[in-house]
Amino acid sequence: MIINATILSWVTFVYFASAMFYTFRMVTGKEFWGPLGSFVALVGLIAQTLALILRWVESYKLGIGHAPLSNLYESLIFFAWTIVLLYLIIEWRIKTRNLGAFVVPFAFLAMAYASFSPHVSNRIQPLIPALQSNWLISHVVTCFFGYAAFTIACGLGLMYLLKGLGEGQSSRPFLRYLPDREILDELSYQSVVIGFIFLTLGIITGSVWAYSAWGSYWSWDPKETWSLITWLIYAAMLHSRFVRGWRGKRMAIMSIIGFASVLFTYFGVNYLPGLHSYF
Amino acid sequence: MKKTVLSLFSSLKLTIGLLIIIALASVLGTIIPQQYEGGESFRHLSPGLIRAFKSLQLVDMYHSVWFVILMGLLSLNLIVCSLNRFPTSWRLFRKIPSLDRGKPFENLSPDNVLVIERKRNEAIERVENLLRRRYKRVRRRETASTTSFYGEKGAYSHFGVYIIHASILIVIAGAIIGSLFGFDAFVNIPEGESTNVVSLRRQKGIKELDFTVRCDRFSIAYYENGMPKEYRSNLSFLKNNKAIYQGPLLVNHPVTFNGIRFYQASYGSVPGGQAYITIQKGDGQETAVTVKLGDSFYLREKDAKVTIGRIEEDLMSMGPAVLLNIQSSDGNMRLWVFKEIEKIRKGIPELLKKVPKFDPGLFKPYYFKLHKIENKYYTGLQLSHDPGVSSVAVGSFLIIPGLIITFFSSHRRLWVRLDEQEGKTRVLVSATSNRDPVGLKREIERLLKLLKKAGGVV
Ligand code: HEM
Repeated sequence: MIINATILSWVTFVYFASAMFYTFRMVTGKEFWGPLGSFVALVGLIAQTLALILRWVESYKLGIGHAPLSNLYESLIFFAWTIVLLYLIIEWRIKTRNLGAFVVPFAFLAMAYASFSPHVSNRIQPLIPALQSNWLISHVVTCFFGYAAFTIACGLGLMYLLKGLGEGQSSRPFLRYLPDREILDELSYQSVVIGFIFLTLGIITGSVWAYSAWGSYWSWDPKETWSLITWLIYAAMLHSRFVRGWRGKRMAIMSIIGFASVLFTYFGVNYLPGLHSYF
Repeated sequence: MKKTVLSLFSSLKLTIGLLIIIALASVLGTIIPQQYEGGESFRHLSPGLIRAFKSLQLVDMYHSVWFVILMGLLSLNLIVCSLNRFPTSWRLFRKIPSLDRGKPFENLSPDNVLVIERKRNEAIERVENLLRRRYKRVRRRETASTTSFYGEKGAYSHFGVYIIHASILIVIAGAIIGSLFGFDAFVNIPEGESTNVVSLRRQKGIKELDFTVRCDRFSIAYYENGMPKEYRSNLSFLKNNKAIYQGPLLVNHPVTFNGIRFYQASYGSVPGGQAYITIQKGDGQETAVTVKLGDSFYLREKDAKVTIGRIEEDLMSMGPAVLLNIQSSDGNMRLWVFKEIEKIRKGIPELLKKVPKFDPGLFKPYYFKLHKIENKYYTGLQLSHDPGVSSVAVGSFLIIPGLIITFFSSHRRLWVRLDEQEGKTRVLVSATSNRDPVGLKREIERLLKLLKKAGGVV
């Protein structure tokens, strides 16, 4: 097995450990677990960054050098990387560890799927001609930052609903550790905003790439169409908040629906007729 | 009547409804196979269902009348709403509220009140300097007992939404221009040949270009593992038989000529390739021939005529092969000669016994060897002419500052009042913002700190 893939499969367990520590903190109410969770997540992020760089270098050694963003395996790894990076930035900015138990598991799942699914190959493959484009790199990077922000918004939406369930039973430490609903709502909104801007950039860079590779900036292929659907869902969500003042539960539900659409854009599209064909 | 139509189109309920309907329609379009994807996916559907889909225009949905109507309604909604709202935003942008209003200071939190150990007339200048440095359009008004300031920042934030909405309209306009005045076409050109006739994709039918395209050469480069690395067509563009432009066309590197963009889209091989064959006789004597499809040669000893029936680049995944039709007094025989026969024999030892026509030594005393085939390719070009692209590009570019202004700026208005109390000066600070209350609160805290510092320094 290639060394970077070995490191990455270990990182999977590191993220799992981090998610568990964050969860212990919530369940037991002992603050001790929190810094441990953050520390372990940070270690995982650093190891993952190194592995990505190694993989990049390795691809050059193979004479087929390209950024590690070209197939399902690499995109899943990058997805997990953006989730943890964004999460740690948020944790540091707002100085609370309450979100960890709801966000880090997503990174773990993406890593686990990449590392252990028999359908995902971790080989470094050369780029076929259609993928040899710098626009493709900016496309993948912007899309995945968007997806990561939407993932965080979804985690926050789940927390919001959970907090709602426990209303009036504030004695449970588990729920007490969740931030106030107003804060959750505000953070979720901000994540959606970030995600929306990145998704918009992702769609734009994707169409520039399509324009230089296929001769049409938009051809309604299922992947493009689903990214537009996702964009429309979040646009509807932002409008209902901006103009109609929707808050709280409805927004939480919308952030979960939006995330489902993100997942479908990412994975589900492969099961539809017609495809994002690569020449 | 006119009023209700107007109010319908300026309603946000309509917007959200339309956004959701368009999203759902698009979902439908990704589930129902679309015509241009080829008949392939239609095969599992019953004829009745196909007919129903066709009559509802669901098989080319994104270009159907009703989808276009939806987009039209959305655009109308956007335009009406923006026109409707713009005067209000303009007023908010321009207007400077009266300075000595009491309202901002009603119910003021005690945190927003500061006492400076100075006389008012000393404090005024310091406060004013501070405000002028940090705010725009700072105004001051004096009365006998108080001094009032007004300042603001981020007034442009009212326009972010219009930039976003305008850029979406510009993108839609570009798409309309493209579909009305542009075309997509494709053409296959064999190496060495030229054409000026291309097939239109959407409109069907053909189109004559006012220049000629020649494919001088098509080549494929491979990686070591066999994956394709590069597809390259060397093209010449000719007018009146004179080459105006010559150059390579690669995937991701289109070539534009006369306002038409050319893309490397596909390739294939055509008859006309060459094969290099040697024929060994039993006595070891070897003869080499170079043949094209349909060529013949004679084998004198057996009085046999050999005709090249096919030249295949990759026959049954066993590599290059040629088909020899051998006519002799023994009767007719067909023989496939593989280039990689040694490898094939190693891989499947009993193959030649089972399939004698793969045995290069079958027609005794001759033994055929295929050394190389030289394929003749055609290049598949995609052509596109889209005069709407620049509009789409402008719209896509504009939406980004629009989003940033909308989400990350806010119009903050600030009122500061100074009044004198027993030789000291009381400073009241009040502010409003159209968005981002948290950011506003932080800003006031910072301002209070600065005021305190400005007031304290002697
Ligand atoms: C997809 C096409 C879009 C349509 C058809 C559309 C339409 C509308 C309409 C009709 C309104 C209501 C105006 C009113 O009530 O007076 C509105 C408001 C608004 N839209 Fe959009 N919009 C679109 C895209 C966007 C996008 C992408 C954003 C950015 C995320 C956005 C941001 C806003 C904001 C912030 C407002 C509130 C304006 C305010 O409160 O002053 N819109 N939009």
